[in-house]
Amino acid sequence: MLEKGKISAFQMGVMMYPTIIATAILSLPATMATYAHNDLWLSPIWASFAGFLTVYVSHRLHQYYPQQTLIEYSCQIVGLIPGKLIGFLYCFLYLMWTGQIVRNYAEFVVGAFLFNTPIVVVIASMILVCVFAVRGGIEVIGRAALLFMPLFVLPLCLMVLLLLPDLDWQNFFPVLENGIVPSLKGAVVPHIWLGEFWLTAFLFPLLADSSKGRKWGMLSVLAVTITMIATNLFSLFLFGSDVSSMLYPLMIASRYVSIADFFENLESVVMAVWVLGAFVKISVFFYVIVLGSAQLMEVTDYRPLVWPIGFLIVLFSFWGIPNMIVFNYLDETSLPYYGFFMQILLPLLLLLIAKLRNKPQRMKSAA
Amino acid sequence: MNRNGRKWWRTNKHKLEPARQNSPSPYAHLTLSKETKENLQTLQDIYSKCSDVIFRPFYIGKTIKAHVVFISGLCTVQDVDQYVLTPLMQANENEFPDMEQMAEQVLAVSRIKNLATIADCIEEIGSGNPVLLWEGEERALSLGLAKWEKRNIEEPSAEVGIRGPREGFTETLDVNTSQIRRRIKDPALKMERMKIGGYTQTEVIVAYMEGIVDQTLVEEAKARLNRIQIDGILESGYIEEMIEDNPASPFPQLKDTERPDTACSALLEGRVVILVDGTPFALIAPVTFFALFQAAEDYYQRYIISTAIRWLRYLFLGISLLLPSLYVAIITFHQEMVPTSLLISMAASREAVPFPGLVEALLMEITFEALREAGVRLPKQIGAAVSIVGALVIGQAAVDAGLVSAPMVIVVAITGIANFMVPRYSVGTAVRLLRFPIMFLAGTLGLLGVMLGLIAIVVHLCTLRSFGVPYLSGISPLKPKEWKDILYRSPWWAMKTRPHFTGEFNQYRQAPDQKPGPERSEDP
Repeated sequence: MLEKGKISAFQMGVMMYPTIIATAILSLPATMATYAHNDLWLSPIWASFAGFLTVYVSHRLHQYYPQQTLIEYSCQIVGLIPGKLIGFLYCFLYLMWTGQIVRNYAEFVVGAFLFNTPIVVVIASMILVCVFAVRGGIEVIGRAALLFMPLFVLPLCLMVLLLLPDLDWQNFFPVLENGIVPSLKGAVVPHIWLGEFWLTAFLFPLLADSSKGRKWGMLSVLAVTITMIATNLFSLFLFGSDVSSMLYPLMIASRYVSIADFFENLESVVMAVWVLGAFVKISVFFYVIVLGSAQLMEVTDYRPLVWPIGFLIVLFSFWGIPNMIVFNYLDETSLPYYGFFMQILLPLLLLLIAKLRNKPQRMKSAA
Repeated sequence: MNRNGRKWWRTNKHKLEPARQNSPSPYAHLTLSKETKENLQTLQDIYSKCSDVIFRPFYIGKTIKAHVVFISGLCTVQDVDQYVLTPLMQANENEFPDMEQMAEQVLAVSRIKNLATIADCIEEIGSGNPVLLWEGEERALSLGLAKWEKRNIEEPSAEVGIRGPREGFTETLDVNTSQIRRRIKDPALKMERMKIGGYTQTEVIVAYMEGIVDQTLVEEAKARLNRIQIDGILESGYIEEMIEDNPASPFPQLKDTERPDTACSALLEGRVVILVDGTPFALIAPVTFFALFQAAEDYYQRYIISTAIRWLRYLFLGISLLLPSLYVAIITFHQEMVPTSLLISMAASREAVPFPGLVEALLMEITFEALREAGVRLPKQIGAAVSIVGALVIGQAAVDAGLVSAPMVIVVAITGIANFMVPRYSVGTAVRLLRFPIMFLAGTLGLLGVMLGLIAIVVHLCTLRSFGVPYLSGISPLKPKEWKDILYRSPWWAMKTRPHFTGEFNQYRQAPDQKPGPERSEDP
């Protein structure tokens, strides 16, 4: 094993939560609202099936190949060359996505707060901190995620609490005005986010108590789904039908907070807190790329790869993304298709082949 | 270091065999001979030009020539005269066939040891015990009369408290061990002695409670201590740096304490205590980040108050780390966060200041640190002058001159006070240092920079271990059982289990159901 550290299943669950939620609460409510209108709270429920499915598939594959990650067992399932190809595809996919996540993070920070700061500084500083964490290994990321979890969630809950008087429950109605289809359409983009639970295929072998892995993975999906429903409802109640026209609804919501003329304009605080989530998200993706590519190239230590891959992530955050409009356009047009293929179809295919391959062996051992 | 089979501190000095400690002494091959003259000559050669070593020849009874060798100042001359010389000189040498019987019957000294080699003699003389050499004997006798000037037991100056024992460790190892032994009388308290330091031969004691401590931890501690090859140990800080897990960290990975009660509570929790001769600071291992925020007094006063104070400490830890950076970030990048009325008064006071926020903060913080350091290092008589200069120059004059703004002075002052809230000086200094990089980040990237700095620190804390125990153990990795001493100080009747570090350990520290109540206990 390349990674000597172990995390608990609970830590993995906690780690995955900000990994999904950090960017999901940023622009997704608006995306969902574009398609689902005031049924946007239903979309995460449909999307959650993708999450449950990927955790199930990755856990089943983990049961077939307990000590191996996706990169290693894909070679065993479909043979060396196609397996390596699949491994490369995933490493490349995550590299590209991490670049996009970092860009998304940086655009958000520069667009809303640090107007005059060059975007590359914002990106590089975050990558620098993540390099620090990734070099520490999975244990460090797991522990840091555990520490940041309450710091990430509680202030957001507090913000919702402070805005309770401003919420208009009537925006909830009418429910399912145009049937179920708009909410299903709204689920197309967020299903990619929940599908990111496919990262567990890299994390399951690192669990000290892998028997609890599925339980905590599923609970994490549940928590993510509930959070997404809650943020969607919250945005809906606060803004009504305007949600779809906002880039970052939650950020705008934080501007509404005004208590005793003292707690005002808290968007900087929300940003600061959100950075914690973004850090966990980027670190987990970053770590998975590093571990995956180390296993792909079959090197003995993944640490020498951390700096080069960090540099690549910075590059990927610029390549192919001229601006955020193109970015959002790609998110809604191409992402759902290749994301669906990589996170749902390909894993299912792998599981199917693994099942067929392992069946005769089992019968042999039974006999 | 050991390339030529010779220790570095010996290479160009004496051509004697290397490595005094943890391996045979350079004089090990020298045995005592029957001829006192030879023995004496060897010792005199070894102790040549040592004016403080005294060789006193005398006769036992009338015929047997003997010598007593000791270092003046390490034992009292009166004791030697009264308990050694007088009875021996007056004894009738013919009554006793050998040295042992003589020692048993004549010498009024309780600690007596037979020595077979010159090396043993040197060791005993060095530690202050007079050594008796005897005509016609291949042995020498060490007389346990070592006694030197030592500081009295005083109140520990670095860890003061209102309630709780007032005595602290001193520079003398025996006094320190006695203070621990007086508190823990059970023979399960083990104290293993070893000597570290090629020249200083400093005595180091590894103390632990057998049956409570995880034995692998003791082995690890001893192994790490045995690894030390150094010419001298003058303070436990030497040892701390040689045995910690991560040398490249500003955070202490061992807890140092001056208080015997703190050391004893650590022993009862299953930790290892390392006592070093010549310093009042004992080391405790392993330690977690949160254990460094526990003061001895927390456990002596009411738990509700202790809990509140503990939270106050966490809060002020945050303040001492972040307040100047948050201030810089807000006045440079996020002015909109400040309520309007406050913003106006802040802007008014900053109007005359020529520096940007970051420079102003650095100026003040560095001056404050300098004052503080000067205050520690200065002779006591001048200390008052420094505080006056500090208060006047930094406080009033700097604001009047328009060099810094009044809010900045307040921020610096609060930060300074906050830093003293941390009960361990060593953690306080780490936070003091880390404040500066975060200030730079705040001045360049605003709140984002502060967060990134904070993340980097937390990630670093997550990588730290103290003797294999994760530094943030309790919170991350999550152990809800440990919260009784982290998030709150649970009352003693509820503190049922010991903290868990690694491996096997004795879990329960008390019987269950001891919560007191108004019911009278029934008479049997």
